[in-house]
Amino acid sequence: MSDLALIVDDSAVNRQLLARHLASIGIEAREVVDGRAALAALAEPDNDVGVVLLDVVMPDMDGYETLAAIKSDEALRHLPVIMISGVDELDSVVRCIQLGATDYLPKPFNPTILAARVRASLADKRMRDVEVAHAAEQATLLQTIALQKEELSRFLSPQVAALVSSPEGQLLLAGHRREATAVFCDLRGFTAFSDSAEPEEVLGMLREYHSKMGELIVRYEGTLEHFAGDGLMVFFNDPVPQPDHVERAVRMAVAMREMFAGLAARWARLGFELGFGVGIACGYATLGRI
Amino acid sequence: MADDAPVLDRSVLAELRESVGGDDAFITDLVATYLAETADHLAAMDAAAKAGDAAAIVRPAHTLKSSSAALGALRLAAIGRDIEMAGRAGDAADLPAHVADARATWAATLREMAVAGLTR
Repeated sequence: MSDLALIVDDSAVNRQLLARHLASIGIEAREVVDGRAALAALAEPDNDVGVVLLDVVMPDMDGYETLAAIKSDEALRHLPVIMISGVDELDSVVRCIQLGATDYLPKPFNPTILAARVRASLADKRMRDVEVAHAAEQATLLQTIALQKEELSRFLSPQVAALVSSPEGQLLLAGHRREATAVFCDLRGFTAFSDSAEPEEVLGMLREYHSKMGELIVRYEGTLEHFAGDGLMVFFNDPVPQPDHVERAVRMAVAMREMFAGLAARWARLGFELGFGVGIACGYATLGRI
Repeated sequence: MADDAPVLDRSVLAELRESVGGDDAFITDLVATYLAETADHLAAMDAAAKAGDAAAIVRPAHTLKSSSAALGALRLAAIGRDIEMAGRAGDAADLPAHVADARATWAATLREMAVAGLTR
């Protein structure tokens, strides 16, 4: 709770009187004699200052300079500052309000006015603290969502990842029946290769194969249904409707075959004898969360 | 004029006493603080007046004005205000006379405070 009042006044009489009045309404006060000491107190980490009562005329660093320093400090600029002022100093008060002071307290002090102004300022400060905490929570939440979307996009094509994160996507993910084109492919000779090759070789080859095929799936906006080892199943027209789903499937399959030719030539030089098999099926399918 | 103001306005003291719930011990403490503080301010004002430094007299005169008014020492508060204004105006010539006036009024204030039972 930031319910501490910082009294900044070079007059010991004023400080003593203000602290007494504040104590009578349950507000603890800390006293300093000038602006420099006030800024030092406010710079302490975890200080509980919720309102500053600031005199104008002080030695070393006066009220104007102190107020300007508080208002130009990002961490302090929302801290309420109430100017302490004599009745003959209204011009100074106006200047301080223009500089960002919240309110002013006339001398001699009236305990009722003091209580009202300090309480109002503390309430503002508390409200502000709640808003800041809320904004920080929101930022963390948004950051988490962005991170989750990013994670999701590693497993789904960007347009599918965006869709499943949207309210419409949630509806689409419900089980439904729709015409779709499926492309399935695998590597011929993979089982024999994986039996004889070192695990590091198999994983290195699979990583390259998945990476290259993944690029094509993204390019043709296919939905990767699953992959297991060398086998891939990709379908089109769901969850994003694609009127040209058959053509997309065929074009992607051809592109995969060409891509594989490049990979296979290099793998052959390493002694890996692998072929590529691909099939396409078109028809009605039940899709989504079943 | 400063001379028109009472040396010690007991109604101010009564209001102050009431505002702290009739806590006489606190008032006595506050007066002790005032006495110590005012002695320092008068010394600073003496030094500024002797040096002819009008700017240096502003702050102690201002604080003397403020704390004296809080305790009902209205004549000293008025003198403090006049000295502060002279200081702000850069008028150093009359400062020694002003400060002498403040010293004399301070002595009178102390006497009245003692009579009122405010000093220990």
